[in-house]
Amino acid sequence: MIKRVEINYRGIFQKNLGKKIGSDIVIIASGMGRIGFSNGRYSDSPERNGIPCKYFAFVSHDLSEEELEAECGAKLDIDQCDISVVLDDTMIKGVEPWGWHGVRPINEKVQPGGTLLVVTKKSQDELLQFIAKKPYSWKLATYSGDLSFGGLWVFRDDLTHEKTLGAVAGIDPDIIGIEAVEKYLKYKNPKEPARAEAARQAYDEVRKNVRTVKPGEGVEWKHEIPVLPKWFQFMEGAAVPAVKRHFELGPKGQSRNETFKRGTTKNQRPVVRFDLCTKCTLCWLECPDQCFDQTSDGLYDIAYEYCTGCNKCAQACPVNECIVMVDELQFTEDSSPWDAYKADPHKYTDWAEEKKRKGRYIHPMVTGTGLEFVEGELVPFGGKPRAGQKG
Amino acid sequence: MIAEEPKVKNIYESEELLTGCQAVAQAVRLADVDVIAAYPIRPYTEVMDALSKIIADGQLDAEYIIADSEHSQFEIVKHASSVNARAFAGSSGTGWCYGFEALVVTATDRLPVLFLVGNRALDDPGAFGVEHNDAMAVRDMGWLLAWVTTPQEALEHVLIGYRIAEDKRVRMPMALAMDGAFLTHSQHMVKIPTSEAVRQFLPRYDLGDGRLHPDNPISIAPQVNEDWVMELRRQNWDAARRARGVIKEAYKEFNAVFGERYSSPYFTEFMTDDADTVLIGLGTVCAPGRTACKRLREKGHKVGFVSLRWFRPFPTIELRESLKRFKAVGVIDRDFAHGSPDDGGILLHEVRSALYPLKNRPAITNVITGLGGRDVSIEDCARMYEIAQRSKTEDKLDNFVTWIGVRE
Repeated sequence: MIKRVEINYRGIFQKNLGKKIGSDIVIIASGMGRIGFSNGRYSDSPERNGIPCKYFAFVSHDLSEEELEAECGAKLDIDQCDISVVLDDTMIKGVEPWGWHGVRPINEKVQPGGTLLVVTKKSQDELLQFIAKKPYSWKLATYSGDLSFGGLWVFRDDLTHEKTLGAVAGIDPDIIGIEAVEKYLKYKNPKEPARAEAARQAYDEVRKNVRTVKPGEGVEWKHEIPVLPKWFQFMEGAAVPAVKRHFELGPKGQSRNETFKRGTTKNQRPVVRFDLCTKCTLCWLECPDQCFDQTSDGLYDIAYEYCTGCNKCAQACPVNECIVMVDELQFTEDSSPWDAYKADPHKYTDWAEEKKRKGRYIHPMVTGTGLEFVEGELVPFGGKPRAGQKG
Repeated sequence: MIAEEPKVKNIYESEELLTGCQAVAQAVRLADVDVIAAYPIRPYTEVMDALSKIIADGQLDAEYIIADSEHSQFEIVKHASSVNARAFAGSSGTGWCYGFEALVVTATDRLPVLFLVGNRALDDPGAFGVEHNDAMAVRDMGWLLAWVTTPQEALEHVLIGYRIAEDKRVRMPMALAMDGAFLTHSQHMVKIPTSEAVRQFLPRYDLGDGRLHPDNPISIAPQVNEDWVMELRRQNWDAARRARGVIKEAYKEFNAVFGERYSSPYFTEFMTDDADTVLIGLGTVCAPGRTACKRLREKGHKVGFVSLRWFRPFPTIELRESLKRFKAVGVIDRDFAHGSPDDGGILLHEVRSALYPLKNRPAITNVITGLGGRDVSIEDCARMYEIAQRSKTEDKLDNFVTWIGVRE
């Protein structure tokens, strides 16, 4: 019997968190007399900020170390898993870790009867709006927690690590048992009983929050998976064709790289108030991924498929409330916001403000209380009148 | 070793979850290495991260020098070794190649430095995945060269490596090769020996009159001309031949301290007793290889797997004696040798050459696979067995070399 756990995390921010969870699964299982080993997905490294990455842990009761290694080791990726952990719920929109990979479903590797285990504050119904359907039944399980972001090389000490261990034990005690998890956490942190308690709480919580997803339940996956060329079908000399230069005004007017879009890197996206825009051009200039398209009226459209959510445009924009970063799970598709604005400026602006109201948050960098949802200033359509001007 | 020394009571002090690189770092600590030269390149780099922490934590007293490049890195440890400091360095792929000049002269100067080679594909294009050509590059130069397949084995072979390399009858540098990612980065539970047990096995490094010191006036590597080179080469050639015997001794001593860990130093055989077809390979390909072997056995096929550990010195006699029992041998190459005889891989040429003197030679086939970190699956290995089995009866295979795993 082999148990496979994959841990989906946001590189590089959650790298240590993902690795510690994977390592601890093996250490705890070993302490229970089981055999285990763990590794990252090698090609993920070096991890660009936000790119979806994976860590793996393998556990067996009956196989020897060597046999388990033979079945699960010396491989880049896995073919199937018992549990797929998701440490950033925005990754359920799809994952594209490198070029020529395509945007793939987050539950791609979940085997029949396996579990997608997501730490989230969203409801399971909300999550299922984004997850691909499968031809067999599988399970969705959730446990409560905020996005654990601490910045480069740091993982947030917000108990997500401990909760995840408890949740894995809750889904499948054949991987790790909750008593063993508690014992291990108490041993590692004798002065911090809250850690073992957090594991136990997540264990209890997740067992009440497992839902069977029926075959065919979920979304039709619309992203194309590229077909890799055979050895005689591409250029020799380790050379690849680059993106041809092409530019025209309007949405998607620039030529971009079709084989690596990188849009799944983001967990927030910029929402634009075109009515307030002063056409200073700074967002278009500053965007490191050239996501802005010039339009015929001098406004700048966003190609959301390519946006990595880096926040530079929001920082650069000089106009209050004009570009605001919003939770990625508020959006179900990537159509042109400028097209929507031109079609109906007021309807678009109301839509933009609703998104901002529901999905604007900050996450304090120092150990804090988790995400803070905030409200900004509701600027009326066209902006506030300046001194001396009529409204 | 002194016969009167009491048997070590505590062989292992703890068990920890370590990657292949971290296990090597623990062994470098236990071997009380004096000088470490570091330069970063994936995937061997983590050993240097781990060592810097071990030294910072006061667990090892060593010089830790960050070089400006691999060439300088290798020169530093070569010189350290010449003044009787036990030295450690390492690299991968293109970095290993960058310092090649230094690697060559370390061997000709007969300096027993130990290097970790985290096998990595050679650039260009930029690739980090495993391929064996980097470590293979030193195979003709008078190096000890061995592949390990688990973190535990890696830890132990740093100790075994120094023991052999520093033996006065050998005095050759050692490249300890380890599959990039699959072994360097994969975490397994490892038993860590006590310093006491290691001291029982590994003597202090003593170059004797070969060490550079004002009290011992010698010059190393002066200019020579046609009068000298051939004799120097002959000295190296002889050392490599003597190493075969020293290797056997070292393992006996190791087993005496640590228990019967290695019954056979050069290679391990799996299910070969009544086999008629075997595969032979280096590194972590033995994992899917052995599993494929087991599954085929369940179906009644008489197959086995030979996992080669020591590549230099090549265990010609032992391997010939072993492989002659079989009707077919499939050689797995996780490397390439473009334009070589029959376009076979490196290991293929070595094995075929070793089998040449036999009156009744097994049929031999070659598979090139797993390059650039490409997975080698259990099904791939089953295919390799099938190819080898067919060669028993077929006079001449259309394609002597088969590429498995390439998109074609």
